[in-house]
Amino acid sequence: MRLPAFNALIGGGLIGGLLIAAGTGALWTPYDPLKLSFREKLAAPSAAHWLGTDEFGRDVLSRLMAGAATSVWISLLTVVLAVIFGTLIGLFSGYVRGWVDRVIMAFNDALLAFPGILLALGLLAVVGANKYGIIVALGIAYTPSVARIVRGTVLSLREKEFIAASRVMGNSEAFTMTRHILPNCIAPLTVLATSMFGYVLLAESSLSFLGLGVPPPAPTWGNMLAGARPYIGQAMWLGIFPGLCISLTLLGINLLGDAVRDRLDPRMRGMR
Amino acid sequence: MNRLPAHLIGAAVAATLAGPALAQSLTVSVAADVRSINPGVNRDDNTDDFVLQMVEGLVGYDEGGTPGSLLAEKIDVSADGKTYIFTLRKGVKFHNGAPLTSADVLWSWNRYMDPKTDWRCLTEFDGRNGLKVEAVEAPDANTVTMKLNAPNALFLDALARTDCAMAAVIHKDSVKADGSFDKPIGTGPFKMGEWKRNEFYTMSAFEDYASPRADGKTDGYLGSKRPLVKDVKFLIVRDPATVKAGLLSGAIDMGGILNSDVDELRKAPSLTVQVGTNAVRHGLLIQTRDPLLKNVKLRQAIAAAIDYDELVSAASADLAKPNNSPLYPGSSYFGDVEKQGFKYDPTRAKKLLQESGYKGETITILANKRPTAVSFPQAVVAQAMLQAIGIKVEIEVLEWATQLDRYNKGNYQMQAFSYSARFDPALAFEQFSGNKDKQPRKIWEEPQALALIDKAMTVADKAERQKLFDELHKRYIAEVPMIFTFNGVEPYALSKRVKGFQAWQSKQRMWEVTLAN
Amino acid sequence: MLRFALTRIVMAIPTLLIVAVSVFVLIRLIPGDPASLMLGDLATPASIADLRARLGLDQSLFTQFGIWFSHLLKGDLGVSINSQEPILPLILSRFWVSAQIVLVAVFFASLVAVPAGVIAAWQQDSTLDLGLVGAATLLLSIPTFWLGLLLLLFFGLKLEWLPVVGYVSIGDDPWRGIIYLIMPILTLFLHEIGVILRMARASTLEVLRLDYITHARAKGLSEGAVLWRHAFKNAFGPTWTLIGLVLGNLLGGIAVVETVFTIPGLGRLLVDSIFARDYPVIQGCMLFVAFCYVLVNLVIDLCYPIFDPRVTAQ
Repeated sequence: MRLPAFNALIGGGLIGGLLIAAGTGALWTPYDPLKLSFREKLAAPSAAHWLGTDEFGRDVLSRLMAGAATSVWISLLTVVLAVIFGTLIGLFSGYVRGWVDRVIMAFNDALLAFPGILLALGLLAVVGANKYGIIVALGIAYTPSVARIVRGTVLSLREKEFIAASRVMGNSEAFTMTRHILPNCIAPLTVLATSMFGYVLLAESSLSFLGLGVPPPAPTWGNMLAGARPYIGQAMWLGIFPGLCISLTLLGINLLGDAVRDRLDPRMRGMR
Repeated sequence: MNRLPAHLIGAAVAATLAGPALAQSLTVSVAADVRSINPGVNRDDNTDDFVLQMVEGLVGYDEGGTPGSLLAEKIDVSADGKTYIFTLRKGVKFHNGAPLTSADVLWSWNRYMDPKTDWRCLTEFDGRNGLKVEAVEAPDANTVTMKLNAPNALFLDALARTDCAMAAVIHKDSVKADGSFDKPIGTGPFKMGEWKRNEFYTMSAFEDYASPRADGKTDGYLGSKRPLVKDVKFLIVRDPATVKAGLLSGAIDMGGILNSDVDELRKAPSLTVQVGTNAVRHGLLIQTRDPLLKNVKLRQAIAAAIDYDELVSAASADLAKPNNSPLYPGSSYFGDVEKQGFKYDPTRAKKLLQESGYKGETITILANKRPTAVSFPQAVVAQAMLQAIGIKVEIEVLEWATQLDRYNKGNYQMQAFSYSARFDPALAFEQFSGNKDKQPRKIWEEPQALALIDKAMTVADKAERQKLFDELHKRYIAEVPMIFTFNGVEPYALSKRVKGFQAWQSKQRMWEVTLAN
Repeated sequence: MLRFALTRIVMAIPTLLIVAVSVFVLIRLIPGDPASLMLGDLATPASIADLRARLGLDQSLFTQFGIWFSHLLKGDLGVSINSQEPILPLILSRFWVSAQIVLVAVFFASLVAVPAGVIAAWQQDSTLDLGLVGAATLLLSIPTFWLGLLLLLFFGLKLEWLPVVGYVSIGDDPWRGIIYLIMPILTLFLHEIGVILRMARASTLEVLRLDYITHARAKGLSEGAVLWRHAFKNAFGPTWTLIGLVLGNLLGGIAVVETVFTIPGLGRLLVDSIFARDYPVIQGCMLFVAFCYVLVNLVIDLCYPIFDPRVTAQ
């Protein structure tokens, strides 16, 4: 049984729901997500607080909605940053080859070999521990994987007949790149970008767990998930709801990513 | 998973783990490894705690933080206040069986004063910080005399300091032939066992220990100190959630827990929970040279905007009570004046804010998220309360080393911070007061306050000192150089089999503790 | 083959050099300093300066690097600022602990996840595919510190099958050693299933789209034969490469699992040293991790021809 439309529909539905939640959360939430209420701390889900309250008595639903906007924004910018720079570096490196390529790739591999936590700590210290610091730090951390994949694709395609044909036809290198090579990078990049999106959502929470907090002017899902851990015995809902949000978002992005890839992959044109 | 083999695994584990528990071995969880076993050299609080169960000094702190005689039987001071005569307690033995003599005291002291030893407290006694021990002599096997350059009210306190490892007397076999440190051979109730870095460290009872008293009453580092369990294993467990699981499963007999876990573990049938207090002081530091915060009115507004009852109950999970004084409540100088803290008064706060000319500038509070620190919750609550009167506040979460660096450089507006324990009130004030040009980490640099603190360092008379501290406290409340909020609480969970443990000043003292089978 | 391996190692030297230099500079750019951390809030500027001088941190960055690097060339990574231990034996003993967890977990995860990923790709867009992708996404989106804690509470506390805290080296007591490793391995195993399944599925999808698969189908081969003879064998190559990347990254990311299960491994050593600003240990660890990364990827590339008949190592 084949149901591409169905999968894309689920993916689209999940992502649509996320965007609506993020959009609403940016404008309106049932309660002020930062408002403390000591009398209501760690309250279980109820009519007043649909998803309960946290250790400061803050409304979990409001925080999730506000967090959706922040989390999506951070993840999206990070992925976009990594994809743009990684693609540029990969295209350039794969195109020029020779010693320039070797130098770039030596740096690239060095960056790949860095454990993320050290890189994040170092870069956060340099760019400043705020929302944009995280985006820059994680963006730089994920750039080399993108560069590697794009370069690989460029190298494998360079000598293919249709590229040579494009050159023979007198097309400029830039045209050949954008028209023929770049589209072939889309499929592997979509896979990478969707998993990166998930990693970024979670990277924050792992950093937070290891004692490397991310500055919370507004709540984020990753932060909420990490902060809920000490209350696993008393208030399970604190962890379940942000975790569920992350899971569903990831699932939606994967499904949608598949659909997008099928549509954009040049080899798929005309199939099905 | 296949059920049968899994059950077999379970049974095998139970069998292997049940074995050592019968041998009167107590397992205590600790959050970090010790840095070394060399007294007072490469150390932190955790290291001091371990080492000071094995070694002892001439004097040590009592329960209230006043120095009293430990290896000394009595201490006489000459009329000019410059010579201290220590008479050693008789019958004290080192772990290797050798009796304690004044020669050992002399040898240990000379080793500490040798710069090659890297004793952390060398500068406290060689004159660089004022106090200088000019001569140490042993007129007979039982007597040691120490001559100072000038009378000093804090000499015994400095000797008793735990971060100096009490200037502990150790046997010369503690050091290898090549001069490097081997292991502590001291006079304490426990002997060094095994140390597996980053896994555990152990100690065992010293049967020939001569306890200062034997009535079962613990008293700081003095009092009754009999070792009543055979072995103690300190297991390094960094994740508080794992500690909790270990306590509930019985794999850990006792350990420090998070404030937020107290309620839950109180309900566990196999455990008891004990909440101790210590002289750690939590608070909000204010950079008084900040262009915005140098304004006294704004600082007063901040102090009046905070509802201390709510802040403290939220940050400590209802375990602590507010204390705005730099002195901790256990101190004998903590009187009626010190009880008068900042007044929570939002109306007055708003009025002060208006008078200060505050125009909506953002104030950043630094905080860290170490699981055992209360820094982050304090910052969150303070942020909400300050925003309620109209001050714009942002929180910047840093990793601890970075925050400490900002503290040392004075590079911040406000930060949620904790000061380590200082028992003497003069030292408690000195900890955050001083000239920022010389020491950027200092907070309060009002010259008259500094003069009062200097005076309290030299005066010995208690009533006169009390007056000085009362005056200092009033000035601190009026000027709001920073805001102390509450003192450290340290909840422990213990297996019901563990008896006789008394939480005290973050020290997990294992003497007088027993373990039922 | 040998020539290929040697060239690859020589080519890795610049990468390792870059790692060495950039780690050295980066950790010194991060605020914080080992001396002030050792002395805490009681430190006076004078005592911090004293300690810095004793640790050699008062010298210029250039001199410090020169000293460290000349020792490095002799195979000496120095001693830890914190514990005064020699670093190379420290790293090796910790590495062994982490490596057994990572290798076992990734091995079993690949056994499960690679076939599952191939099947998901083959049945793309079916309910089976949706189910597998959903399960993988779920596993992927539970952070290991949550997953580990849940396992700990379930197997350790509720069922009491496995010990909650502690660690015994397999070298000291093989049976108990294994028991203490079950939960950390299980945690990583479950997480990696999510990672590897998605990778295997994606690379199989790539292959299924290639012309020769269409040809094979056109030739009238049964779906099973197409899948096995062409798709699976060809998809395994790229997946294998990705597993290499996973292995390399994991050594840095295992710190979380080691924290939850009190395992004295390399990840925890690195994180602790970063927090303590134990510069020589950080430098040693990073260089070692980078070296492993290069090595793992070399081994992967050398094994590549075994799985992908179209490629020969050269």
